[in-house]
Amino acid sequence: MPSIVRTFAWLEGLGWTTALRESPYGYPLIETSHVACIVVFAGLVIMMDLRLVGLAFTNAPLAQIQRRLFPWQMATFVPSTATGILLFCVDPLRYYRNVFFLAKLVLLVLAGLNALAFHLKTYRRADRWDEDSQVTALARFAGAASLLLWSATIISSRLIPNNWFK
Amino acid sequence: MKTKLFLLLLAVGAFCAVQPAQAHHAFAAEYDPMKPVTLNGIVTRMEWANPHGWIFMDTKESDGKVKHWTIETAAPSQLSRHGLKKADFTDGMTAVVKGYQGKNDPGLANGRTLVLKDGRSFYIGSVGGPNDGAEPQ
Repeated sequence: MPSIVRTFAWLEGLGWTTALRESPYGYPLIETSHVACIVVFAGLVIMMDLRLVGLAFTNAPLAQIQRRLFPWQMATFVPSTATGILLFCVDPLRYYRNVFFLAKLVLLVLAGLNALAFHLKTYRRADRWDEDSQVTALARFAGAASLLLWSATIISSRLIPNNWFK
Repeated sequence: MKTKLFLLLLAVGAFCAVQPAQAHHAFAAEYDPMKPVTLNGIVTRMEWANPHGWIFMDTKESDGKVKHWTIETAAPSQLSRHGLKKADFTDGMTAVVKGYQGKNDPGLANGRTLVLKDGRSFYIGSVGGPNDGAEPQ
Protein backbone atom coordinates (compact mmCIF):
# COMPACT_ATOMS: atom_id res chain seq x y z
CA MET A 1 0.00 0.00 0.00
CA PRO A 2 1.53 3.37 -0.99
CA SER A 3 2.43 5.50 2.00
CA ILE A 4 0.01 8.30 1.03
CA VAL A 5 -2.90 5.84 1.11
CA ARG A 6 -1.68 4.56 4.48
CA THR A 7 -1.55 8.12 5.81
CA PHE A 8 -5.05 8.91 4.56
CA ALA A 9 -6.41 5.63 5.97
CA TRP A 10 -4.87 6.54 9.35
CA LEU A 11 -6.37 10.05 9.14
CA GLU A 12 -9.79 8.67 8.27
CA GLY A 13 -9.69 6.26 11.20
CA LEU A 14 -8.91 8.87 13.87
CA GLY A 15 -11.48 9.49 16.60
CA TRP A 16 -12.31 13.08 15.68
CA THR A 17 -12.53 12.51 11.91
CA THR A 18 -14.82 9.53 12.50
CA ALA A 19 -16.96 11.54 14.93
CA LEU A 20 -17.27 14.37 12.41
CA ARG A 21 -18.08 11.98 9.56
CA GLU A 22 -20.92 10.43 11.58
CA SER A 23 -22.13 13.64 13.24
CA PRO A 24 -25.70 14.84 12.61
CA TYR A 25 -24.90 18.56 13.01
CA GLY A 26 -21.12 19.08 13.10
CA TYR A 27 -20.47 18.13 9.50
CA PRO A 28 -23.39 20.09 7.97
CA LEU A 29 -22.32 23.12 10.05
CA ILE A 30 -18.73 22.98 8.76
CA GLU A 31 -19.89 22.31 5.21
CA THR A 32 -22.28 25.28 5.32
CA SER A 33 -19.61 27.58 6.78
CA HIS A 34 -17.21 26.45 4.06
CA VAL A 35 -19.63 27.40 1.30
CA ALA A 36 -20.78 30.63 2.98
CA CYS A 37 -17.17 31.85 3.36
CA ILE A 38 -16.38 30.98 -0.26
CA VAL A 39 -19.44 32.85 -1.51
CA VAL A 40 -18.37 36.04 0.29
CA PHE A 41 -14.70 35.59 -0.63
CA ALA A 42 -15.45 35.01 -4.30
CA GLY A 43 -17.78 38.00 -4.40
CA LEU A 44 -15.08 40.28 -2.97
CA VAL A 45 -12.43 38.90 -5.32
CA ILE A 46 -14.72 39.44 -8.31
CA MET A 47 -15.26 43.08 -7.26
CA MET A 48 -11.50 43.66 -7.26
CA ASP A 49 -11.04 41.79 -10.54
CA LEU A 50 -13.78 43.77 -12.29
CA ARG A 51 -12.04 46.98 -11.21
CA LEU A 52 -8.72 45.68 -12.54
CA VAL A 53 -10.11 44.73 -15.95
CA GLY A 54 -11.93 48.06 -16.05
CA LEU A 55 -15.53 46.85 -15.99
CA ALA A 56 -16.62 48.26 -12.64
CA PHE A 57 -15.87 51.04 -10.12
CA THR A 58 -13.60 52.79 -12.62
CA ASN A 59 -14.25 56.12 -10.91
CA ALA A 60 -12.87 54.84 -7.59
CA PRO A 61 -9.11 54.71 -6.97
CA LEU A 62 -7.78 51.17 -7.16
CA ALA A 63 -5.72 51.55 -4.00
CA GLN A 64 -8.83 52.49 -2.05
CA ILE A 65 -10.80 49.52 -3.36
CA GLN A 66 -7.92 47.21 -2.53
CA ARG A 67 -7.56 48.67 0.97
CA ARG A 68 -11.27 48.20 1.71
CA LEU A 69 -11.69 44.72 0.21
CA PHE A 70 -8.46 43.00 1.18
CA PRO A 71 -9.12 42.53 4.93
CA TRP A 72 -12.52 40.98 4.19
CA GLN A 73 -11.03 38.76 1.49
CA MET A 74 -8.55 37.42 4.04
CA ALA A 75 -11.21 37.17 6.77
CA THR A 76 -13.21 34.83 4.53
CA PHE A 77 -10.32 33.03 2.82
CA VAL A 78 -8.79 31.80 6.08
CA PRO A 79 -11.96 30.15 7.51
CA SER A 80 -12.96 28.74 4.11
CA THR A 81 -9.52 27.09 3.83
CA ALA A 82 -9.64 25.83 7.42
CA THR A 83 -13.10 24.30 6.97
CA GLY A 84 -11.99 22.89 3.60
CA ILE A 85 -9.06 21.10 5.23
CA LEU A 86 -11.43 19.71 7.89
CA LEU A 87 -13.82 18.42 5.23
CA PHE A 88 -10.92 16.74 3.43
CA CYS A 89 -9.74 15.06 6.66
CA VAL A 90 -13.19 13.54 7.17
CA ASP A 91 -13.00 11.54 3.94
CA PRO A 92 -9.43 11.75 2.50
CA LEU A 93 -9.47 8.44 0.63
CA ARG A 94 -12.51 9.43 -1.37
CA TYR A 95 -11.26 12.94 -2.24
CA TYR A 96 -7.73 12.13 -3.31
CA ARG A 97 -9.07 9.80 -6.02
CA ASN A 98 -11.64 12.34 -7.22
CA VAL A 99 -10.62 13.99 -10.50
CA PHE A 100 -12.59 17.18 -9.76
CA PHE A 101 -10.97 17.51 -6.34
CA LEU A 102 -7.49 17.20 -7.90
CA ALA A 103 -8.45 19.75 -10.57
CA LYS A 104 -9.67 22.06 -7.81
CA LEU A 105 -6.34 21.81 -5.98
CA VAL A 106 -4.37 22.64 -9.13
CA LEU A 107 -6.66 25.59 -9.94
CA LEU A 108 -6.47 26.80 -6.35
CA VAL A 109 -2.66 26.82 -6.51
CA LEU A 110 -2.72 28.67 -9.85
CA ALA A 111 -5.22 31.24 -8.54
CA GLY A 112 -3.08 31.66 -5.41
CA LEU A 113 0.12 32.16 -7.43
CA ASN A 114 -1.63 34.72 -9.62
CA ALA A 115 -2.82 36.65 -6.56
CA LEU A 116 0.61 36.41 -4.93
CA ALA A 117 2.41 37.63 -8.07
CA PHE A 118 -0.04 40.51 -8.35
CA HIS A 119 0.38 41.60 -4.74
CA LEU A 120 4.15 41.22 -4.60
CA LYS A 121 5.05 42.59 -8.04
CA THR A 122 2.36 44.41 -10.00
CA TYR A 123 0.50 46.04 -7.14
CA ARG A 124 3.70 47.53 -5.72
CA ARG A 125 3.53 50.15 -8.46
CA ALA A 126 -0.18 50.85 -8.00
CA ASP A 127 0.39 54.18 -6.23
CA ARG A 128 1.97 55.49 -9.43
CA TRP A 129 -1.13 54.66 -11.46
CA ASP A 130 -3.52 57.48 -12.24
CA GLU A 131 -6.25 57.53 -9.65
CA ASP A 132 -9.13 57.04 -12.02
CA SER A 133 -7.48 55.95 -15.26
CA GLN A 134 -6.81 52.46 -16.58
CA VAL A 135 -4.44 50.21 -14.72
CA THR A 136 -1.39 48.66 -16.42
CA ALA A 137 -1.78 45.82 -18.89
CA LEU A 138 -0.13 43.43 -16.45
CA ALA A 139 -2.64 44.31 -13.73
CA ARG A 140 -5.52 43.91 -16.20
CA PHE A 141 -4.16 40.48 -17.07
CA ALA A 142 -3.95 39.55 -13.37
CA GLY A 143 -7.61 40.57 -12.94
CA ALA A 144 -8.78 38.55 -15.93
CA ALA A 145 -6.72 35.51 -14.87
CA SER A 146 -8.14 35.78 -11.36
CA LEU A 147 -11.73 35.87 -12.67
CA LEU A 148 -11.12 32.77 -14.80
CA LEU A 149 -9.14 30.78 -12.23
CA TRP A 150 -11.46 31.38 -9.26
CA SER A 151 -14.53 30.62 -11.40
CA ALA A 152 -12.94 27.38 -12.60
CA THR A 153 -11.97 26.51 -9.01
CA ILE A 154 -15.55 26.91 -7.81
CA ILE A 155 -17.03 25.04 -10.78
CA SER A 156 -14.72 22.05 -10.25
CA SER A 157 -15.51 22.15 -6.51
CA ARG A 158 -19.20 21.95 -7.25
CA LEU A 159 -18.57 18.87 -9.42
CA ILE A 160 -16.72 16.93 -6.68
CA PRO A 161 -19.87 15.13 -5.41
CA ASN A 162 -20.46 13.59 -8.84
CA ASN A 163 -18.40 10.41 -9.03
CA TRP A 164 -18.61 10.13 -12.79
CA PHE A 165 -15.04 8.93 -13.22
CA LYS A 166 -14.10 6.27 -10.73
CA MET B 1 -27.50 51.09 -14.33
CA LYS B 2 -29.28 50.55 -11.00
CA THR B 3 -32.46 49.47 -12.77
CA LYS B 4 -30.54 47.03 -14.95
CA LEU B 5 -28.83 45.53 -11.92
CA PHE B 6 -32.17 45.24 -10.15
CA LEU B 7 -33.74 43.46 -13.14
CA LEU B 8 -30.78 41.09 -13.37
CA LEU B 9 -31.04 40.21 -9.67
CA LEU B 10 -34.78 39.74 -10.08
CA ALA B 11 -34.20 37.33 -12.99
CA VAL B 12 -31.60 35.35 -11.03
CA GLY B 13 -33.91 35.21 -8.01
CA ALA B 14 -36.84 34.04 -10.12
CA PHE B 15 -34.68 31.33 -11.68
CA CYS B 16 -33.51 30.10 -8.28
CA ALA B 17 -37.07 30.08 -6.98
CA VAL B 18 -38.32 27.66 -9.63
CA GLN B 19 -35.43 25.23 -9.16
CA PRO B 20 -36.57 22.32 -6.98
CA ALA B 21 -34.59 21.61 -3.82
CA GLN B 22 -31.83 19.14 -4.58
CA ALA B 23 -29.29 16.99 -2.82
CA HIS B 24 -25.67 18.00 -3.23
CA HIS B 25 -25.61 16.01 -6.42
CA ALA B 26 -28.63 15.60 -8.62
CA PHE B 27 -30.41 12.24 -8.57
CA ALA B 28 -30.60 12.29 -12.37
CA ALA B 29 -26.84 12.73 -12.72
CA GLU B 30 -26.13 9.24 -11.43
CA TYR B 31 -29.32 7.21 -11.03
CA ASP B 32 -31.94 5.96 -13.44
CA PRO B 33 -35.56 6.59 -12.36
CA MET B 34 -36.64 3.98 -14.94
CA LYS B 35 -34.66 1.24 -13.18
CA PRO B 36 -36.28 0.57 -9.78
CA VAL B 37 -34.68 -2.31 -7.87
CA THR B 38 -35.68 -4.37 -4.84
CA LEU B 39 -32.61 -5.84 -3.17
CA ASN B 40 -33.11 -8.74 -0.79
CA GLY B 41 -29.82 -9.77 0.74
CA ILE B 42 -27.13 -9.48 3.36
CA VAL B 43 -25.77 -6.16 4.59
CA THR B 44 -22.00 -6.69 4.65
CA ARG B 45 -21.24 -3.19 5.95
CA MET B 46 -22.90 0.15 6.60
CA GLU B 47 -21.13 3.50 6.54
CA TRP B 48 -23.06 5.93 8.75
CA ALA B 49 -21.43 8.95 7.13
CA ASN B 50 -21.69 12.49 5.80
CA PRO B 51 -22.48 13.88 3.30
CA HIS B 52 -24.47 10.66 2.79
CA GLY B 53 -24.28 7.11 4.02
CA TRP B 54 -23.59 3.85 2.21
CA ILE B 55 -25.06 0.37 2.62
CA PHE B 56 -22.92 -2.42 1.17
CA MET B 57 -25.08 -5.39 0.33
CA ASP B 58 -24.72 -8.85 -1.25
CA THR B 59 -27.65 -10.30 -3.15
CA LYS B 60 -28.04 -13.62 -4.93
CA GLU B 61 -28.72 -13.44 -8.66
CA SER B 62 -31.14 -15.86 -10.32
CA ASP B 63 -28.15 -17.89 -11.55
CA GLY B 64 -26.87 -18.26 -7.99
CA LYS B 65 -24.02 -15.76 -8.33
CA VAL B 66 -23.46 -13.20 -5.60
CA LYS B 67 -23.81 -9.56 -6.63
CA HIS B 68 -22.23 -6.73 -4.62
CA TRP B 69 -24.26 -3.55 -4.25
CA THR B 70 -23.22 -0.10 -3.06
CA ILE B 71 -26.34 1.75 -1.96
CA GLU B 72 -26.37 5.49 -1.27
CA THR B 73 -28.49 6.64 1.66
CA ALA B 74 -29.36 10.02 3.14
CA ALA B 75 -27.06 11.81 5.62
CA PRO B 76 -26.95 10.77 9.31
CA SER B 77 -29.17 13.71 10.34
CA GLN B 78 -31.87 12.70 7.87
CA LEU B 79 -31.67 8.98 8.75
CA SER B 80 -31.99 9.85 12.45
CA ARG B 81 -34.99 12.03 11.73
CA HIS B 82 -36.72 9.05 10.13
CA GLY B 83 -36.04 6.99 13.27
CA LEU B 84 -33.08 4.95 12.09
CA LYS B 85 -30.02 4.51 14.32
CA LYS B 86 -26.45 3.48 13.57
CA ALA B 87 -26.97 0.57 16.00
CA ASP B 88 -29.78 -0.78 13.79
CA PHE B 89 -27.07 -2.05 11.46
CA THR B 90 -24.96 -5.12 12.16
CA ASP B 91 -22.64 -6.64 9.58
CA GLY B 92 -24.18 -9.79 8.13
CA MET B 93 -27.82 -8.95 8.86
CA THR B 94 -30.50 -9.51 6.25
CA ALA B 95 -32.49 -6.57 4.89
CA VAL B 96 -34.58 -5.44 1.95
CA VAL B 97 -33.71 -2.20 0.19
CA LYS B 98 -35.83 -0.57 -2.47
CA GLY B 99 -34.20 1.99 -4.69
CA TYR B 100 -33.00 2.91 -8.14
CA GLN B 101 -30.04 1.53 -10.05
CA GLY B 102 -27.07 3.63 -11.18
CA LYS B 103 -27.01 4.90 -14.74
CA ASN B 104 -23.49 3.74 -15.56
CA ASP B 105 -22.61 1.53 -12.60
CA PRO B 106 -24.96 -1.51 -12.36
CA GLY B 107 -23.72 -2.26 -8.82
CA LEU B 108 -24.69 1.19 -7.59
CA ALA B 109 -28.12 2.13 -6.27
CA ASN B 110 -29.87 5.03 -4.61
CA GLY B 111 -31.76 3.67 -1.62
CA ARG B 112 -35.34 4.80 -0.97
CA THR B 113 -36.76 2.44 1.67
CA LEU B 114 -35.12 -0.03 4.02
CA VAL B 115 -37.00 -2.90 5.67
CA LEU B 116 -35.22 -4.59 8.58
CA LYS B 117 -35.62 -8.23 9.62
CA ASP B 118 -37.99 -7.25 12.44
CA GLY B 119 -40.32 -5.68 9.89
CA ARG B 120 -39.59 -2.03 10.69
CA SER B 121 -39.48 0.12 7.55
CA PHE B 122 -37.53 3.34 7.09
CA TYR B 123 -37.25 6.01 4.44
CA ILE B 124 -33.53 6.30 3.60
CA GLY B 125 -33.68 8.45 0.46
CA SER B 126 -32.00 11.81 0.07
CA VAL B 127 -34.04 14.61 -1.49
CA GLY B 128 -34.27 14.83 -5.24
CA GLY B 129 -35.38 11.27 -6.03
CA PRO B 130 -38.29 10.42 -8.31
CA ASN B 131 -41.67 11.28 -6.83
CA ASP B 132 -42.68 7.65 -6.30
CA GLY B 133 -44.54 7.97 -3.01
CA ALA B 134 -41.68 6.55 -0.91
CA GLU B 135 -41.18 9.80 0.99
CA PRO B 136 -42.95 10.02 4.34
CA GLN B 137 -45.81 12.50 4.16
